[in-house]
Amino acid sequence: MEPLTWSGSFGAFLNPLMLAAVVAFVILFLTNVVMTFAGMRSGDFEVNADGTLVYQRTPMDMVLTGMKYAVLLFVLCCIGYIIGGLTLPTIEQKGILGAMAQRLLPVWIALVVTFALSITFKRRLGLYGKLFDSPIGMAGFGLVMFWIFAAIFSGVFPLVPTHGAIDLISQMRNELPGTPLPNPDDGEYPYYLLGGDNLGRDVFSRVFFGAADVLKITPVATLFAFMVGITLGLPAGYFGGKLDTILTFIANLALAFPVILLFFLLVTPEIVAAGVPQYMSMILFLFPILFFVVLFNSRFHTDPTRRNILVGAAIAIGGVLYLSLISNPSDPDLPLLFRLWPEPFDLFDIAGNLLIVFVSVVFVNSPTVFRIVRGITLDVKTRDYVAAAQTRGEGPWYIMLWEILPNARGPLIVDFCLRIGYTTILLGTLGFFGLGVSPESPDWGSTINEGRRLLTIYPHPALPPALALMSLVLGLNLLADGLREESLKD
Amino acid sequence: MVDTIAEDVQAVPERYDGPILEIENLSISFFTRLREIPAVMDFSCTVMPGEAMGLVGESGCGKSTVALGVMQDLGVNGRIVGGTIKFKGRDLNKMSAEELRDLRGSEIAMIYQEPMASLNPAMKIGKQLMEVPMIHEGKSEKEAYQLALDVVTDVRLPDPERMLKSYPHQLSGGQQQRIVIAMALMSKPSLLILDEPTTALDVTVEAGIVDLVKGLGEKYGTSMLFISHNLGLVLETCDRLCVMYSGEAVETGSIEDVFDKMQHPYTQALFRSIPLPGADKNARPLIAIPGNFPLPHERPEGCNFGPRCDYFEAGRCDVGSIRMEKVPGNDRHASRCVKFKEIDWMAEPELAATTEKAPIGDVVLKIDNLKKYYEVAANALFGGGDKKVVKANETLSFEARESETLAIVGESGCGKSTLAKVLMGLETATDGTIVMGNQEIQNTAIEDRETKTVSSIQMVFQNPFDTLNPSMTVGRQIIRALEVFKIGSSDADRRNRMLELLDLVKLPRAFADRMPRQLSGGQKQRVGIARAFAGDARIVVADEPVSALDVSVQAAVTDLLMEIQRREKTTLLFISHDLSIVRYLSDRVMVMYLGHVVELGSTEQVFSPPYHPYTEALLSAVPIADTSIEKKHIVLDGDIPSAMNPPSGCPFQTRCRWKSDVPGGLCEKDVPPMRTLATGHEIKCHLAEDILARMEPVIKIAAE
Repeated sequence: MEPLTWSGSFGAFLNPLMLAAVVAFVILFLTNVVMTFAGMRSGDFEVNADGTLVYQRTPMDMVLTGMKYAVLLFVLCCIGYIIGGLTLPTIEQKGILGAMAQRLLPVWIALVVTFALSITFKRRLGLYGKLFDSPIGMAGFGLVMFWIFAAIFSGVFPLVPTHGAIDLISQMRNELPGTPLPNPDDGEYPYYLLGGDNLGRDVFSRVFFGAADVLKITPVATLFAFMVGITLGLPAGYFGGKLDTILTFIANLALAFPVILLFFLLVTPEIVAAGVPQYMSMILFLFPILFFVVLFNSRFHTDPTRRNILVGAAIAIGGVLYLSLISNPSDPDLPLLFRLWPEPFDLFDIAGNLLIVFVSVVFVNSPTVFRIVRGITLDVKTRDYVAAAQTRGEGPWYIMLWEILPNARGPLIVDFCLRIGYTTILLGTLGFFGLGVSPESPDWGSTINEGRRLLTIYPHPALPPALALMSLVLGLNLLADGLREESLKD
Repeated sequence: MVDTIAEDVQAVPERYDGPILEIENLSISFFTRLREIPAVMDFSCTVMPGEAMGLVGESGCGKSTVALGVMQDLGVNGRIVGGTIKFKGRDLNKMSAEELRDLRGSEIAMIYQEPMASLNPAMKIGKQLMEVPMIHEGKSEKEAYQLALDVVTDVRLPDPERMLKSYPHQLSGGQQQRIVIAMALMSKPSLLILDEPTTALDVTVEAGIVDLVKGLGEKYGTSMLFISHNLGLVLETCDRLCVMYSGEAVETGSIEDVFDKMQHPYTQALFRSIPLPGADKNARPLIAIPGNFPLPHERPEGCNFGPRCDYFEAGRCDVGSIRMEKVPGNDRHASRCVKFKEIDWMAEPELAATTEKAPIGDVVLKIDNLKKYYEVAANALFGGGDKKVVKANETLSFEARESETLAIVGESGCGKSTLAKVLMGLETATDGTIVMGNQEIQNTAIEDRETKTVSSIQMVFQNPFDTLNPSMTVGRQIIRALEVFKIGSSDADRRNRMLELLDLVKLPRAFADRMPRQLSGGQKQRVGIARAFAGDARIVVADEPVSALDVSVQAAVTDLLMEIQRREKTTLLFISHDLSIVRYLSDRVMVMYLGHVVELGSTEQVFSPPYHPYTEALLSAVPIADTSIEKKHIVLDGDIPSAMNPPSGCPFQTRCRWKSDVPGGLCEKDVPPMRTLATGHEIKCHLAEDILARMEPVIKIAAE
């Protein structure tokens, strides 16, 4: 079989069109720059005597319109490839782009449904709905949702990947994108769409399995960092004084600690054997339980029955999860403390490396979250509604968690989006240093690291995960920008 | 001699004699994604040379937008959609950015509300002032410095040379505002726009600034556009005024005409809703304007004030657009009302239900010799070094009785907030006793108080935009108070009680499920009151509950407080700096200065001589919107001393105008004792009886 071409049969006319769009954009952009230097400005609204508005067009406006249409044309060409991938009968005609678009069909459907529903009801959806008023926010949301759906349709329902994450075919080592399999079995996908890596695994499938891995770990890890940051930041800001001085000092220490050194320390065999990551996780994972217990207790202490139910549930559920998380009775290398929890109740085990990832993410991110929360708390605690809560005798934790925290949510949501992005990069960095989740894990960082060795000869195994990482982080940043912009306009 | 004068006249450049500012049919709109929001519609006014024009209205009426329109600084989405603004005969709308830049700061200067925000915190005062003539007139540094020195002397700041060398944060609020005024005057502008220049300042400081602005207007011959929500202030500073309502000028004319012969129902309603001397909470209660200010996109057809107007007539007031019409016989007096010629403006208003004075009951709160000191470490980081003591409250003694309103009056830093904190239990007293009912509570912090004690002393806060948690529904916030006060046995029970509380403060029950951002300022304040009364409070500390509200809403909220007080027999501790409202609603008044009670007595005793010298100055400082009132002019020098470093002896001695009448420098040596002048009237002053007896009343109602 012949290798696939990138653009298939549609490429014959879509490629020149796309090239034309790019060329037109570049030319118009340069004209725009020249015109700006020449002192030309875009037009302005003029008010007529009868109160209507008229837009005065200038050559500058025409250039800007031209640029807009060039971008539109480019996007239309991209959509053309997707449509081609979905409609053309054979893989050869679809080309690599078309075939990928076809594999991603469930993702497209999910995206279209999400956007259609959200835009229809956007006026009733609060801040989330307002996101669809901002093009930047929409672009960001689209990118993020693309990867979330891609992760779901790879990790939960494996519809997108063509091959297994660690299936290897030795003849396919370092083969270029679009190479057919030497002797495909029945029902096996006959091509490696983005080529094979240096062990002969399918790069395309690994990128999407990697997405599932990354999106499973980063939001949860970031959430833990937020729990720790919030639980410490609120009292530091609210009580102030010595407590604040001490906690801020510790946060500064953690921020000043060289992160890379921490990572290497955490994977040093002696330290792992001594159970340091385990002890650290023992402390870190305690925070969420603490958080929920205090949250419910402060709110419902006036109604003891309900309080007991909620706090009891929080302790029971949180406790089981916590103990399952930190202990692993089947691992004889662990210190005795972590093997006490009986096997039948141990719901799940976390691989040692993953624990390290969690610990380092929390360690790196929580001091910054701590500072943000502390700052907002210092501001919000001067408000009259906080004074009103104090004068009716509310406890400090009620005020912190129910009066102050909900009003700090705006900046925190924005920061959460950004921080998932940082964590994704951090996970990549960890993988790159070989400290990632597990050696054969398809997560993006590790994949980039593996591809690095032959980068000059075969760039194709390393580039797709790098682009994936870039687009997800870009999406998160745009989403955060959109949220910030829209939350300011009320 | 004659010749030199002639030469002088010739040296003066040709002067422009026409109006300085001529605004004709100005309309300004802001454009948002959803709609066009008209902020100012069909606004006209003329300012002649040397004239001071007042622009009065409630928040959101468009008065600041007019000022920004004159400055041609409307931001990205604001546009002038009609009309002209002529400055000295030149149309500002047609000027280029360069021409406007040339004009701003040199010919037209603007003074904003917040002085700290108008000064660059990273630049010394002198440098900021010198910039103006150096940029606009190309003067040398030396000339500019000399000019700066002169102007700073003109705005009556002490030690001008040191002032020029300091940074903005080293000055007090009043001094900063004087510097901003100085900066505006540096280039001797023809037009000065003042946008609420004293709202952020204390009353006595405000009086000083107003006095200064008036004097400077006369000295420099500057025309002024004075924007304010305070009618009294406009009366004191301006020659003419323009009343605005919901984006339109509704009445314009000279001060005398508009104040005494008003020709628009809104102006009339405004005057009836502010507490003037003579108003009385029982016999002559204020008349609140019904309804709410319309939102810009929900303005009614026809007259904007129609739905709230007593004289509304369907078919005439709600059709077409209503134009400004000249009032015959008066000087440039116009009204935007179709019926102004038919209304009998002299008719006495129908009195709202008068009430009997509620009988004053037993003592509920007795405070004896209360002291609250704070220790402030000089070196915060390591806690070492000298400790300074801030005496926030010094030997306070007073009583409050059931159904009584005790007003606590004083400017910022007088210790009234500290007193409130100690009463509420957020702080514990350093010395002395607070007896509530029959319990001593001065040393019990709020977490150790019984629920009953906590719920029986509650607070209403100042800022309506801050008093409710923005992320909780109104109902939820009241229910929370009920939960904490252990009222009601079930959720349904508490919900019922919450709805009753909403009835009590006259809010519709549907508001229970609304978020605070959907409520107006007055409505939020009502929820705040409902929350304070959730636990059947016996004592309510109201910390300036209406000072942040618009005039027309103030009356309604004040009356609500009075009505609840009458029904629940609550003791109201009303903290305020606004003596007009204090005179209107309080039974007794306590005047505080730098932590001391300087005067305490019934309202009549405090508002008539003999006064404490500070009370006298305070009374003189408060602007009163009534042309028939004659006030003695007393302006205090300087600022309130810092509580960290109080003056020796009498706290008020640094600013007291009677100090020379006390022999032997006693004022600087000893804190005066509390003296009883008449039953229940106590003052803290060294002045001899005969001097006190000679004091004249500050406020006199001119013989009619």
